[in-house]
Amino acid sequence: MLHATSHALSPIKNNKMKIKKTTLYLVLIIILVTMMGFFLLGNENIKQDNVTPNTIDGEFQKVVLSMKNLNYYPNTIKVKANQPVEITLDDSVRGCLRSFYVKDFGVNKYSRTSNDKITFTPNKKGTFRFACSMGMGTGTLVVE
Amino acid sequence: MSFRKFMKYSSEEENLVKTILISLLTSFTLLAFLYFFKLKYIENFIPKYGFFLFFAILSYSLILPSVKHVRIYKEFACMSGMMIGMTIGMISGFLPGLFLASTNGMFVGSVFGMSVGIFFGIWNGKCCGIMGVMEGIMAGFMGGLMGSMTSLMMFNDNLKGIVVISFFISAITLFGLNYMVYNETREIKDKNKEGDFFTMFWSLLLTALTVFIMVFGPRSVLFQ
Repeated sequence: MLHATSHALSPIKNNKMKIKKTTLYLVLIIILVTMMGFFLLGNENIKQDNVTPNTIDGEFQKVVLSMKNLNYYPNTIKVKANQPVEITLDDSVRGCLRSFYVKDFGVNKYSRTSNDKITFTPNKKGTFRFACSMGMGTGTLVVE
Repeated sequence: MSFRKFMKYSSEEENLVKTILISLLTSFTLLAFLYFFKLKYIENFIPKYGFFLFFAILSYSLILPSVKHVRIYKEFACMSGMMIGMTIGMISGFLPGLFLASTNGMFVGSVFGMSVGIFFGIWNGKCCGIMGVMEGIMAGFMGGLMGSMTSLMMFNDNLKGIVVISFFISAITLFGLNYMVYNETREIKDKNKEGDFFTMFWSLLLTALTVFIMVFGPRSVLFQ
């Protein structure tokens, strides 16, 4: 009689064991992922000087941009308002990033070589975005 | 009721959770080993590669249980087999392609994504014959290219955001696939044995390959 009862209960016991095992696995997964996530995701960004040192040559504020990590480098340009700006994309700039675009000042030019100059006059102060024609390379134009 | 059963009682399906744990343990142990002996001497290793490696390992720990689950039953009807080939091929191509292209460029990401995707696509797709195999090849090919393309297009937008979103969508899809396999096979008594060695071997291989290619592998001009 006792044997029969314990035999009948065994599937229920088994199920409880299985659920507990699964729960244990899930808890271990969560702990493992949290620990490794803390280690692998807790990082500070790589710092790099990212502001243009522009030079004033005659009437133009000259800026040379190159390419780093698939973006314009430096990607922050500081210029003075109402003074013409001349931007040159050096030979490291490739692909769609050679097509330079500043919506707020109506600039949209394809610079085929590093001899092509992109010129415009920023006539309002503020912070504006510049980008390539596909929006893959972006940066900030600060007009002071 | 059947969904609850899938979550609680079925022994093969219960093993999926165990497989995820084994895969994570194996991959993270390998990574920790490599880190303390070699990778910590690489400048900016964690900021540069940590995020993508973390999600790559999580992705492998979700792909491998699904591959194993399908291999336990091996034979499926054409429709299910094609779905299996497509899902496994697409996800195992897309995610590695996305992670590798984020650090090494589109060519390396595409080639790696396509290789992994096509391999697992064929391996799992053959459960229903040539149709599943073809579906696996196409899905792996498309997934690998799409993953790396997405990475390149998002590079200056929000690449990390799209990695997290893609990972969660893939996880939900794979969960759905496992549930489908369970639904299709619950009457089948004849099962093949796939031990934990399968999970450990493939986790080690995929993690080792990903780390090696990410850190020491070729990269396109834009990423040098």
